[in-house]
Amino acid sequence: MKTAAGLQLTHIQAFLLFAVVISIAFGFLGRRRPKDRIKYILWSLFLFLVVGIGIGWLMYPFSR
Amino acid sequence: MDETNPLANEHPQEPLSAEPSPPPPPESIDTAPDDSEAENKAWGVAIAGWLVPGLGHALQKMWGRALVVFLTVGSLVVTGASMRGNLFTARGSDAFDALGYVADLGTGVFYFLARTLERSGADVSHAGGDYGTRFLATAGVLNLLAALHAFEAARGRKA
Repeated sequence: MKTAAGLQLTHIQAFLLFAVVISIAFGFLGRRRPKDRIKYILWSLFLFLVVGIGIGWLMYPFSR
Repeated sequence: MDETNPLANEHPQEPLSAEPSPPPPPESIDTAPDDSEAENKAWGVAIAGWLVPGLGHALQKMWGRALVVFLTVGSLVVTGASMRGNLFTARGSDAFDALGYVADLGTGVFYFLARTLERSGADVSHAGGDYGTRFLATAGVLNLLAALHAFEAARGRKA
């Protein structure tokens, strides 16, 4: 959604966008064959999500 | 010599325990100019890739990588600037500002595009603006990584 304050993304939207874009870049730079690229993209995206959400839950007890 | 002995030395003039002869010297050592030219080309590719994201790979006909680098760096810059992230300048007051400036400069010409997009200036008073700052810095570091990748590919390393 575009407002006067700029593009407004929720935390999870920004997180997902970041993870997807960086995973695609890593996949294309790190691997040569298309099949290897897809596997690397999916693996990188999975790790982004697991680590990001994991760190979020680890910080949860200290957020209040 | 015992001709029935299979372990007998077939070449009596060469003892079995002799060290292998060293490889012959190269016929010519006039490859230095080619190496220097390739090195200069690699630096040119790296600088081109830094200035215009993806150009370093495009110059080597790596079209898929060039397109992906251009689109990923571009999308991160446009998103970060649209979220009103902080775009650092050379007039930073501390080391973190300087590091942020280096990271933002990594986007090459997109740095100036981001400045154009951020007509209202940065607003990091909300989480979106802070995320935008990270998007911009990540775009720069990602482009530097891509330029380094193009540099290594131009030098003949596996890429």
